[in-house]
Amino acid sequence: MAHNHISADQVNPGKFELSNRGKTIFSVLSFLGLISFIIGLSTNKEQTWHAYLLSYFYFLSLGLGGVFFTAIQHVTKAGWSVTIRRFSEAMGAFLPFAAIGAVILVFGAHDLYSWLDVEYVKKDPILAGKEAYLNQGFFIARLVVFFLLWLLFARVIINRSTKQDETGDKMLTVKNVGTSIAFVLVFALSYSLFSVDTLMSLEPHWFSTIFGVYAFAGLFQSSIAFMILVALYMMKKGHVKGLVTMEHVHDLGKFLKAFTVFWAYIAFSQFILIWYANLPEETIFYYHRSHGAWAVISLALIVFKFIVPFIALLPRWAKRTPGHLAAVCVLVMIMQYVDLYWLIYPNFNGEHASFGFIEVGLFMGFLGLFLFTTMGFLAKHKVIPVKDPRLQEALDHHVSY
Amino acid sequence: MIDSIIDKVNNLLRSPTTKGVVGFFDDDHECVVAATKMREAGYKHFDAITPFPVHGMEEAVGVKRSPIPYVTFVMGLTGCSAGLFLQYWTSAVDWPVLVGGMPMFSLPAFIPVTFETTILFGALSSVAAMFAFNKLPKVDPPVLDPLLTCSRFALWVPSTEPGYNEDKVKAFMEELGAKDIKSGEF
Repeated sequence: MAHNHISADQVNPGKFELSNRGKTIFSVLSFLGLISFIIGLSTNKEQTWHAYLLSYFYFLSLGLGGVFFTAIQHVTKAGWSVTIRRFSEAMGAFLPFAAIGAVILVFGAHDLYSWLDVEYVKKDPILAGKEAYLNQGFFIARLVVFFLLWLLFARVIINRSTKQDETGDKMLTVKNVGTSIAFVLVFALSYSLFSVDTLMSLEPHWFSTIFGVYAFAGLFQSSIAFMILVALYMMKKGHVKGLVTMEHVHDLGKFLKAFTVFWAYIAFSQFILIWYANLPEETIFYYHRSHGAWAVISLALIVFKFIVPFIALLPRWAKRTPGHLAAVCVLVMIMQYVDLYWLIYPNFNGEHASFGFIEVGLFMGFLGLFLFTTMGFLAKHKVIPVKDPRLQEALDHHVSY
Repeated sequence: MIDSIIDKVNNLLRSPTTKGVVGFFDDDHECVVAATKMREAGYKHFDAITPFPVHGMEEAVGVKRSPIPYVTFVMGLTGCSAGLFLQYWTSAVDWPVLVGGMPMFSLPAFIPVTFETTILFGALSSVAAMFAFNKLPKVDPPVLDPLLTCSRFALWVPSTEPGYNEDKVKAFMEELGAKDIKSGEF
């Protein structure tokens, strides 16, 4: 349009390099994570595995969220998002490491999941009834299937995109539509079951049929927040001048607001049905979380994961002011951590919350690894899909009022 | 008798006409460029009429943002508190009934209705505000040219423009590259 004169065939984005400082920071973070994991395992094994599961689930969700965002852009044949799609693809680069992380998780599974204890299950008729699903063999088999599917789809969808940078073959975009539809369906089912397996089964007597959707809401909210932070960083560094603009960030901001509301909607849907029915086997979940320190965290979730981000993202200027938007994104990402903490820790601790260097260390470790793979992907490939057939649409993207 | 009533009603509904100059353009891009130049030349009250929404036209004409969101926000808050208060008053004050051993004022149970009244008030008042701000319904919109709903684009300068001078406006329209210029009362 009138205010943007970049033509798709002239696009030549700057090369993003992973600076030595960045590499050092990411390596130090990963190293600190490894150190605290080892120290933790030898001092407080159980809590270390809780912390591991927390950080692991957090970053696996970000990686999957990136692939899921990429897939829905292909499914909807979206034009506006072409220039930011590489950022979401980059998040998917973490998935191979997440697969290794799953193998490590299996080693800690006995400290996390009481249903893995065969003797204990025998004595408990409810758990014995669930044994057909909750047993070690099937658990590992599911993990293997999930990761094979996720890695396969992520690889196919993302590789087509990077291959297009070289060849410019428009058929790659067409092919990605079908693959993405398949991925979205697979993802919906597999991620729901994965969250049931890894988080919900921490309290194996408890069940909530909306749990998978709840986990997904957190995944998508935090993934969008991370994407906005990457986009703002790349814009600030000048790597995507005229390619990724405030118009794209504004729309991502709308996404973030929408899924902030979505999270609250799902969280409340889960709560109200359990509260209303008032059945002991269901209310146990909220009973734990409404006493002692957990009550404070529950309230903090409502306020800082929904009310504050929602109001802070309401005005138009809020989604177009980088500093403000970045602050909201950081808040959302912190609250995603708190949310997972709130899902995992009350199952083990009594009424008091515990948080220490193990949690911080493991989070830093995963953060370093995640940033290394994500930023490494962006440094390895072009920062935007330069030969996408819908690139012009993204360059002309304009949010009217 | 009936005819005279119809005439009276018609006269009541008829909006006042305005004199002005209208210039026609053949495509949306030319029209946006012309509108930008017109705004830069200091015109304030002009408008663009196009058969479909044109990207960038709001900025080109200098249309301000709609005040509707503020109406929605305030009315949403009103609906939120009204819905909550209604439930509080009916189930905890005026006619307290114990349900399922829950407290009289059970916030979780009241959230769905509170949410709905927020949406209801917000949505209905947004529509009402849209009608009010656009001065709708209008039974006799001015027809500058029938093709404006089909294939032509136009800029319209009404005589209410400060320092309006028909010949000057016409000359300026010509300068902007208008294909066809006409003046009249619409």
